[in-house]
Parts: sequence; structure tokens; C-alpha cells
Amino acid sequence: MAILIDRNSKILIQGITGREASMVTKHTLDYGSPVIAGVTPGKGGTDVHGVPVYDTVKEAMNNHEINTAVVYVPPAFVYDAVVEALDNNIKFVFIATENVPQKDVIKFLYLAKQKGARVVGPNSVGIISPGERVKVGAIGGDNVERCFISGHVGVISRSGGMTAETSWMVKRAGYGISTSVSIGGDPLIGSPPVDLLKLFEADPDTHAVVTFSEPGTTFEEDMADFVKAGGFTKPLISFVAGQFTENLPEGTVFGHAGAIISGGAGKPSQKVKRLKEAGMLVADEFDDIITLLQKALS
Amino acid sequence: MARLLENLSKELVKESGVSVPRFAVAKNKEEAEQLFTEFDGEVVLKALVPVGKRGKAGAVKFAATAQEAGEQVSELLGMTVRNYPVEEVLVEEKIDIARELYLSITIDKVVKQPVIIACTEGGIDIEEINQKYPEKVLAYHVDPIRGLESYQAKEIWSGLGVKGKELQMLTGVTSRLYKVFDKFDAYLLEINPLVITESGNVMAAAVVMAVDDSALYRHPSLSGRVQMGTERAWRPLTELEKQMVAVNESEPYRGTARYTEMDGGDIGFMCGGGGGSLLLFDALVNAGGSPANYSEFGGNPSAEKVYGLTKGILSKPGVRGLFVAQNITNNTQVDLVALGVTRALREMNIDPQKFPVVVREAGVNETEAREIFAKAGVEYYGDEITMTQAARRMVEKMKKTYADY
Repeated sequence: MAILIDRNSKILIQGITGREASMVTKHTLDYGSPVIAGVTPGKGGTDVHGVPVYDTVKEAMNNHEINTAVVYVPPAFVYDAVVEALDNNIKFVFIATENVPQKDVIKFLYLAKQKGARVVGPNSVGIISPGERVKVGAIGGDNVERCFISGHVGVISRSGGMTAETSWMVKRAGYGISTSVSIGGDPLIGSPPVDLLKLFEADPDTHAVVTFSEPGTTFEEDMADFVKAGGFTKPLISFVAGQFTENLPEGTVFGHAGAIISGGAGKPSQKVKRLKEAGMLVADEFDDIITLLQKALS
Repeated sequence: MARLLENLSKELVKESGVSVPRFAVAKNKEEAEQLFTEFDGEVVLKALVPVGKRGKAGAVKFAATAQEAGEQVSELLGMTVRNYPVEEVLVEEKIDIARELYLSITIDKVVKQPVIIACTEGGIDIEEINQKYPEKVLAYHVDPIRGLESYQAKEIWSGLGVKGKELQMLTGVTSRLYKVFDKFDAYLLEINPLVITESGNVMAAAVVMAVDDSALYRHPSLSGRVQMGTERAWRPLTELEKQMVAVNESEPYRGTARYTEMDGGDIGFMCGGGGGSLLLFDALVNAGGSPANYSEFGGNPSAEKVYGLTKGILSKPGVRGLFVAQNITNNTQVDLVALGVTRALREMNIDPQKFPVVVREAGVNETEAREIFAKAGVEYYGDEITMTQAARRMVEKMKKTYADY
């Protein structure tokens, strides 16, 4: 078991013929993931690494069973691609693209909610469930096992790079991954951490979760409230980066567009305080994740 | 996010059919005096800088004579408001205010919908309004697909007890302002105060607007007229920062390279990953180091881009060490990082045997990276150490090299 993606995922890649999408398709197939079809308008009838390409999602759906859409189109076309997937009743949409206009994101997230579909991203490097040998996005590149081995720890991080590094820390601690999720670096994303904690709570194969957090948003405060309310009962370990940004003037973005302290909200120190109050295990140094995880799972 | 200066935001609001005070821009004393004569009445003078709360910073003044207008503008032009030097002043007719209201449209990141915040008090900060008059504030979430229907705009003000002709006028103004917000992909459109004049008209007396820079491709009319990247610095860009922006923009589709100068510091911070850089900066500080800058590269930049960024980082006066690190990469080719960094060191005649350099680069094409760094005599680590350990090693090396560290 895992969350979001598993052996039953049937993946459609929108924008599959692009340079990056084509490379990611190859890595995804090499890993063993079920990539069923691709869509690029005007390229129907061709194939990418053996994956058939269609002009429309509808056409792909007529020929295959599909339940997961992976969006790799340029920012100006993301809105249409997501809505096309939603209107064809695909219930899980993953978006890799960065710099998608906020207005478009708000609109397709609103539609997804109405249709009962789940969205991860935009600006996510990927999701991986190693026990199922399924991944979407560039996550893990061509050397997946370096960071992601099968196990029972879930990982949540906005940063794609830190999704890999945190999963590698889990491996160093002697454990493996059930599912690692890069939720995306933008201020508006489809699935904030609490949504994923709900899934990890319900997944019997996940025994603990590690999160990598950054300044900005209320993600950590929401996690603290969720844990306090009894929504998540497994060991939960967090590290909050970016303490130095508190000593700089407010309203400045460091790193991801979502990483901004404003109006006194989003400070790492406040997040750490709230997480600790909720009884979560907070790593003072990133390397402490190893010992905290070992203690929690022994 | 990209902020608009008030003359531009007022222009957009005015084009939508919402009244604003007569305004013009003065670049010097003479222009201000001239404008005063044209406006034929008292004027308000505001520093044109891309920051809020100008009133509190003393950057809003009033003048009753042409001479006074000239003097006040001269004074404003010599000021620096929240690190921004004042180069232009907005000259406006002073309007007769009967009542001040508040209206803003922004994006609620939790609910993930546009939200209109209206209040029948205005002219003070929204934080203060919320404290003083919580019962007079109304927040209204808008369906992003349908937009704001006219009756909904009416419900907002009716809900706040507004009646009669004022209700009708405010309904129209609110609908138009929402259209401006929607049309220009705004993040924020704040009218404070929204004024009912003595003669009974509604006027947007002060306008703050910021748009989504990711959507600027849809708005060629705003091209070159918005303050780009205002959220990535707390002051105007330094010369070095401007150079680094040019380096980044030279190859817009090959990775990103961002640079922010810090006050002081002596370790050149050449780090990558949106989250990784945050962690590494903290780790250096916690180990007792002092980074001279913040940086962030990723998305598989070319060797050329890495070279340009490294050279910039090393050129800041006072830098006497270089820390090159990242999380284990998913798609960034670390051999290109190695090529770029070693080329910059070579060209600047920096001997890594004498000048402390520590590298932690693991990920795609690591074997090649290791060779390139080894050949250049640079202390290199892959994934045999953690990011935190690499930061500690960097500070240790600074201490070994410099007796005063």
C-alpha cells in the first residue's frame, strides 16, 4: 500500500512530447510505472518511448483505462490541460509545471473540488511509492534507489530537492519510504500537508511521517491543529528550515514563491512552537531526523 | 508578485470607470509648482515608491500654495522611504471627504478563492480597522469561475448597513474594481480610503495594486511598467544583484539562479534548491559562519549560468571563502555545476588550497563532478556527508584558514 499512486495507477502524461516530459517518461517507464498514454495536440498517432500519443484526453480515454493525469505543459496551457483531465473524469491530477498564473490555479482547484478530484502541485517535482515501483514526475531522476527505497515512512515537502534529501535521511536512519510527496513550491497548491496526513493515517503501510517545512503559509499550524484534534496518530517528525529569514524585513520571499513571512505570520519559530505544543517531534537540526525516527520506530 | 506604482494603478482604476482624484507625476520642484497652478486648489503629494504605509513614513504631504507644493516635493525627492529613494512624486487634487470606507480584493490562500474585504470605516490600516471596528468589516468570497455578480457586490455593502444612493454607487464601483482585479491577474487591489465626497460621489482616493508576475505574458500593456520581483528584496536591487538578474535572464529556459546580497558576511554562499538553500544558510549560521549572500540555483542550470552566479558571489568585497552545496538532485546535472564553479575559480585566480572552498554536490552525473572538482583541487563531498555536516566543515575550514575567525 501507499498513498496517491500505486500499482493500480494508470497514468496519462499531458504534454508528453516535450523535451523534459519525454525524458521523465523514459525514467518513469524504466522504474516500472504504468504509463498508459500521452497527449500532445497535433502529435496524435506518434509515440514516446513506446507510449501512444493522442491529440485529446478524450481519445486517450476511449482507447485506454486511465485514472491519473500528469501535466507537463507550459504555464500558459496548464489551465486547459487540467480542466480537460477533470472534464474527462480523471480524479487525480499531478502538475509539474512552475509559474502557473495564480488565477488559473484558483479556477482549476475550484473545479476540481466540485468534481471531487484531487490535485497535487503545481510546481511539484513528483510523487513516488517505492514499494509499488510507481512514480510521477522527475523525482529520483535516473537513480531512484539512491534516495527512495521501499519501507514504511511517508515524506512531505514543498521542495522537490528536499523531498529527495529527506527520503535519503530516512534511508540513512535504516528505513524506507511508503510514499514521498513533493507538494509544490507555489503559494496555492492542490494538496496541503494536512490532506496528505489524512491519507497517511489511513494507510496501514505507513508507520511514521517526516515533513520538511519552510517559512510562509499556515501548513504547519494546520498540521499542529490536526494532530491535536486526533486526526493523525502516528509518529510525526518535522524540520523547519529558514530560521534566518526572521531576522530580515518581512514580506520578502526566499526560495519558493510560497515562502514568505508577512503580517507576522509564517515565521519558522512560531511553526516550531506550534508543532512542539501539539506533541510532534521537531528536529532542531536536519540531521536529528535520523535519531528521532529511530527512537519513534524502535 | 509585481507591485504597481500608484500612478499606474490609479490609471487602471480610472479606465474601469471608477473616479479617482485628478493626478499627475512631478519629477522636480518646478513641475510640482506648475501642476499646482493647473489643479487650482490644495494638493496632496505622495512619494512614488513601491511600498505601503507611506503616510506613516512621512512620505505623504499637503500643500496650499504653489511655493509650498514645490518645497514639499523637493523634500520628498530627498527622502528614502523603506529603503527606496524617491525619484518621482504623485501630485493630486485634495478632495473633500465626507466619509472614508475601505475595500480590498485579494486571494485567500487558505480558502483558495478571491476575497473582498469591505468596511464602512477607512483611512487607517486594515490591521487597525480589524481591531477597532470588527463589526463593520465584511469578508466575501467570490466564485472564481463566475466572477462577482452585481447583486453580490450589493449584498456586501447592504450587509454593512449601507442604503439608498450610496448603496447603488458602491455596488457599481465594487463590480468595476473586481473586473480590474480579474482582468489584470492582480494579487491585491486595495482602495483605502474609498471616499464618499462632500458632493456625494464615490472616489478611489488611494490605490495599492500588485499583479501576478507569472501572468504578465497576458498583459503586454503592463510590460515595463510594473516593479518586478518586489517580493524578493526588501530594498531596490544592488548593482551586483542586477548583474545576477541579467545572468539568470540570459538563458531563461535553462534553470534558475537567484542572488540576494546580505549586509556583511564573508562566506560566498553558492547553494541550490528552494528548500535546500534555506536549510544550508541556517546550518552555516548555526555552525558559526557568516554568509555574505543568499543564493538559490536549480532546475538544471547550464555551466555558463553557474559560472556567472559563482563569479558574482565571489566578487562581493569581503568574501573569503566559498560554500557550494545542494540537496541530492533529482534533475540538476552536478557535473555542469562543477564546470561552472571551477571555471569561475580559475578565471578569478583563486587557489582553493589557500582560499577555503567546500563542495557538497550529489545527484545526476556525480562521478564526472567528482573528477572535475578533484582536478581543480577543491574539497569535494558527494552523499558521504549530510548537508549539515558540509556546512560545519565549511566553517571549520574558515577557522583553520583565518586566525581571526
